[in-house]
Order: sequence, then C-alpha cells, then structure tokens
Amino acid sequence: MSLLTVQNLKMYYPVRGGVLHRTKAVCKAVDGDSFALEEGETLGLVGESGCGKSTVAKSVVRLLKPTAGSVVFEGHDITRSRPGALRSLRRQMQMVFQDPAESLNPRHTVGQILEEPFVIQKLGTRGERGEWAAELLRRVGLPEDALGRYPFEFSGGQRQRIGIARALALKPRLIVCDEPVSALDVSVQAQVLNLLLELQTDFKLAYLFIAHDLSVVQHMSDRVAVMYLGKIVELAPAADLYRNPRHAYTKALLDAIPQANPSRRHERKLLKGDVPSPINPPEGCAFGHRMRHPRWKDSVGMDLNLREVSPGHWIQPCPCCADL
Amino acid sequence: MNEPLLEVRDLRVGFQTEQGLLTAVDEVSFTLESGKMMGLVGESGCGKSVTARTLIRLLEQPSGRVLKGEVLLEGRDVLSLPLEAMRRIRGNEIAMIFQEPMTALNPVHRVGHQIVENLLLHEEMSAQAALKRAVELMEWVGIPAPDERVNDYPHQLSGGMRQRVMIAMALSCNPKVLIADEPTTALDVTVQAQILDLIKRLQKETGMAVILITHDLAVVAETCDDVAVMYAGRLVERGPVETIFRNPLHPYTRGLIGCLPRLDHPPKTMLPIIPGMVPGLRDLPVGCRFAARCPNQHGNEVLGTRQPWKECGGGQGVEACACFANSI
Repeated sequence: MSLLTVQNLKMYYPVRGGVLHRTKAVCKAVDGDSFALEEGETLGLVGESGCGKSTVAKSVVRLLKPTAGSVVFEGHDITRSRPGALRSLRRQMQMVFQDPAESLNPRHTVGQILEEPFVIQKLGTRGERGEWAAELLRRVGLPEDALGRYPFEFSGGQRQRIGIARALALKPRLIVCDEPVSALDVSVQAQVLNLLLELQTDFKLAYLFIAHDLSVVQHMSDRVAVMYLGKIVELAPAADLYRNPRHAYTKALLDAIPQANPSRRHERKLLKGDVPSPINPPEGCAFGHRMRHPRWKDSVGMDLNLREVSPGHWIQPCPCCADL
Repeated sequence: MNEPLLEVRDLRVGFQTEQGLLTAVDEVSFTLESGKMMGLVGESGCGKSVTARTLIRLLEQPSGRVLKGEVLLEGRDVLSLPLEAMRRIRGNEIAMIFQEPMTALNPVHRVGHQIVENLLLHEEMSAQAALKRAVELMEWVGIPAPDERVNDYPHQLSGGMRQRVMIAMALSCNPKVLIADEPTTALDVTVQAQILDLIKRLQKETGMAVILITHDLAVVAETCDDVAVMYAGRLVERGPVETIFRNPLHPYTRGLIGCLPRLDHPPKTMLPIIPGMVPGLRDLPVGCRFAARCPNQHGNEVLGTRQPWKECGGGQGVEACACFANSI
C-alpha cells in the first residue's frame, strides 16, 4: 500500500461578485487529479503559476478541505477525518513553506517555534522539549544558541533551516515542500537542497516537492508530475520525463528552461500566450485549446484520465497534445 | 579599438544609514560596447541593482551617494551632468526596465498614456501622433490587439504583457543602452523565455546595448555575450560568457556555476556548495571579500590588502586573490 494515495482530487472555489455577492463562476483550481506517493520517495510537482500546485499541497495536508475526491494517508481518508483524528495524523505529515520569513512567528523565539509542535501534541516535559528543540537545531546545521533568538536575526537560508527543523519535530513520514528554495540565493539554495536530501535518507521521508524551477525539481525527484490548469497532464519517473517527454505541454516547459551552458544554446520553440485563468477553463484539453491545435475539438468530451503509455509513464491521452 | 559606448570607471557608491556610511558598490569598472548584451550577476546585496541605478542616476535619495568614479556615456560623464541634462538622457539614451512591472507602471493611468508620456517628453510630436506611435510600439513588442490594449489599465494585463508594456515604454525613444533589472524574475519559465527572446530580437533590430541584471546564471548563459560577476559590492570576474562558463577563475564564480542543479547532473546527489552565506555590508574586509567562504587555502594577508585586478587575455579579467593568482 502506498503511503499516500490521492484519488480524483477536486478543489473548486466559487467566484462571487455583484451587489448580492452571488456565485458568478467557479474557479477550478484542481480538477480531478490522482497520484500516489511511496515511503521515502520524492514526487516533484511542476507547472506555471496558477496551475494548482499549491492547492494540491494544501489539500494533501488538509489545510484545505477539497471539494471532492479522497486523500488516503496510511489507510485513513483524511478528507473525512474528524479534527481529533486529524491532529494525530498531522504528526505524520508536515509542511515546509516558501517564505520562511512569513511562516515563522516573528514574536516567538526559535526555541518556542520548535517546541510548539510538541506542546500541541502534548508530548514531553518542558525540559525534554527544550532538549528536543536543541537536537533539531543541530540536525539542520544551526548552533544551539539560536534557541533564544528571534527569526529576524537569521538570514533567509537559516530561517528555512528553522522551518525544516519545525517540520521534522514530530518525526513525520511525509513532508510537503512548497517552493522551499525559491526565495533563497543560489549559493544557499544548494545548501538547503543538500540538507533535504540528507534528511530524506536519514529519516526515510517522503517528499511532495513543489517548485517552479524545473532543474531543481529534476535534481530532487524520483518521479515528476506536470500540472497544467488544475490537471496533471504527465506523470513519469524523473529521468524518463526529462529525457522523453510525451505531452506537448511538458515539452514546451522543458524547452523553455534556460541551460547554464552557453555552448549549448538552442533555438526555442516559444510558447505563445499566457497561462489561461482556471475560472471557466476550456473544455477538453486546456493546452490544446491554448495552442489552437486543429485536433483540440476531438478532446472535448473525451475521457482525459491519465493513461499509462510505458511502465510508470502516464499521460493525459488527448489527441492534440499526447504522443500515444 | 572603438571607444566603448558606456564605460564605468572605479565606481563607488555608498548609503548613509544610522549605522554610518555603507559602501554598496566598491570600485567597479566595466565597459559596454553597442550591440552587446552584458549580464551582471550576483546574489542579493552584491550591488548589482545599485550599480544599474547609478548609471541612470536613480539612486535612492538622500541616503545614496556616489563617492568616487565616473560613468561615461559616449565620453560624457553622466554623473556630473546637471539634473536637467540628465533628464534628457534618462529614458531617451539610457532606459531601464524593472523586475516587477506592476509596481513600475502607474496603476491609475492607461498603459497607452504611459508610453505617450515618455514620447512627448523626449520628442517633438503631437499627442495624436504619439498615441499612434504607442500602438505601433505595442505591436512591435508582441502585444496582441494593441489598438484595444492601449486603453487598458496595468491591472488588466498579465505579468508578461505588463513587462512587454515596460519594454515598449523603455524603447519608445530608441535608447542606446537598455538596463534590464531582473526583468523575468517574477515571470513563469515559459513567459520568461518569451521576454528574453523579445529583448534579444529588439536588441538585434535596434543595435542597442543591454545590461541584463539577474541572479540566474542560466539566463545569462542563454542570452548574454559578456558577463560580470559581483560579490559583496565588488566585481570579482568578467569576460565573454563562453570563457567564463568554460574556465571560471575566481573561486566564487566557480562555486556559483558549480552549485546550480543542472539537467545533466545525476539527480538526488549532493550538490557542490559554497559554505556560509552572503555577507552583510558592514564589517567587510579591505581585501578579498570571499575569503571567509573560499575553499582555497589562504593566509590572513589576503584580507588586509585589496587584491589586484588581473587581465587574463580574451577579455577575461579577475580579481586575482593571492590564493589562486599563481595558477593563472
């Protein structure tokens, strides 16, 4: 059994407006996604802004209650769990946020921040909690005297280490990392990525790793899912996906990555237009619609659930964008 | 050799703060020829944006001041020009685009109006002719249906479209130098590719020179002819892009290139790192500023004296710290 199984996840937001504040439209932030995550594995999730990556992340840890679908973690469907049951499940699943400056309480010392998970879960005595917090700091490479200091006294990279330490506190089995390095400088980014890899081996952590930087995702992931406008269009082992993308959107995305190698500059086939809005998205394959593909019409009304085209390699089987 | 279009000599810029004078840019020199695209790279706080803002004299006032050096645009020192003359150069001969077009554009004016404003300021033309020109410019930078978009407000456009409007505005008076300060950092990777491609195309068409400021080395590798690397207020290395990526000399440049996750690296392996973090501007040593994070063996003398600049041929130059100078 997988550690985490997400089935047909949907998250719709009503868009209200007008004098009476009526629902005018529906924003389909996530529209019927399914995937699974094994113990100790990293699943990368990529896509452009507004494609629903963060909504998926928040639904997985039940910071959002999805409109439909199920999220099964170790056999428990957390979309149906009661608050009490959820609290004990949250020991197993934690989150690291993009901006550590905003996700750490500025009025709490680092010690308080790191002890809070234990306080919430009613674990240990005051003395034990202090020791555990110090141990966590050591584990993420910060000095112990940081315990009495406040988040603003640290650099961005150090703050992200504090955020990671907090996520580790309850010895979770899954950590959802939502853009964990995108606010960091290049030289610090590598340090934090290395730390995440080390911790994964040491604690057999599973990561759901979200980033918009495709090189970073490729470096961190075992498998990668590509999202476009609320839907996963391709899901495959990382090496396979990057070497042999089979959905037109994945190809376009990979083609747009700048390469840090000036002797290998290439002519890019540029994608035209912007990411469309998830409010009233087009029917059928949204990317085919953006590309004005002649065969887009054929995808309307089709079953667009992912289909396995080679071992472990799943794509949305639309006639316009998929290499079947 | 031709006289360069833009020459920066020994530029030192500081900010008066409560903690005293902080030097954000310390004796930076480089030249830029017309038709070239130069990348200015470095991490946050290295002084790349301050350098760029000094070129166009948009330093934050009253705290920012130029302490030393000159910026020669075709031989004229931009820094000593009276304000009135500078206003004629800014937006006309040197133009700039910014990272976040939403904050650089005025939210209460139509985008067409904002392009027209620049045209009327610098060129003798009627308001009607200017508006017509604005529509042409918007078409030129790839905005679909420009005669309708010209009446839009910035919030009605997407991030990529806003950046195109900024570019149209910047290029409205055919500048000789375009300074692009992190123009694609706020954009998605596919839109980033579109905007970089647009800047390159326009550069070829107009022959202008471009200074592209970015923290992303991959963007530089894809688009620039030359690159200058800054660290803690100093230029540590510069040269043609191919040379710098093939044979970086300064340990910082090496580290920066090495620690990028690349598509051709084996995944899930430890990345080479630069230990420590970017230093603050207070308490920087006189000598090599990278010494505290440098992997090379070095004595304390590299901290006490300014390390010499060394030209290595082929346009490559480096701050030759004693820890590696002998091996060049």
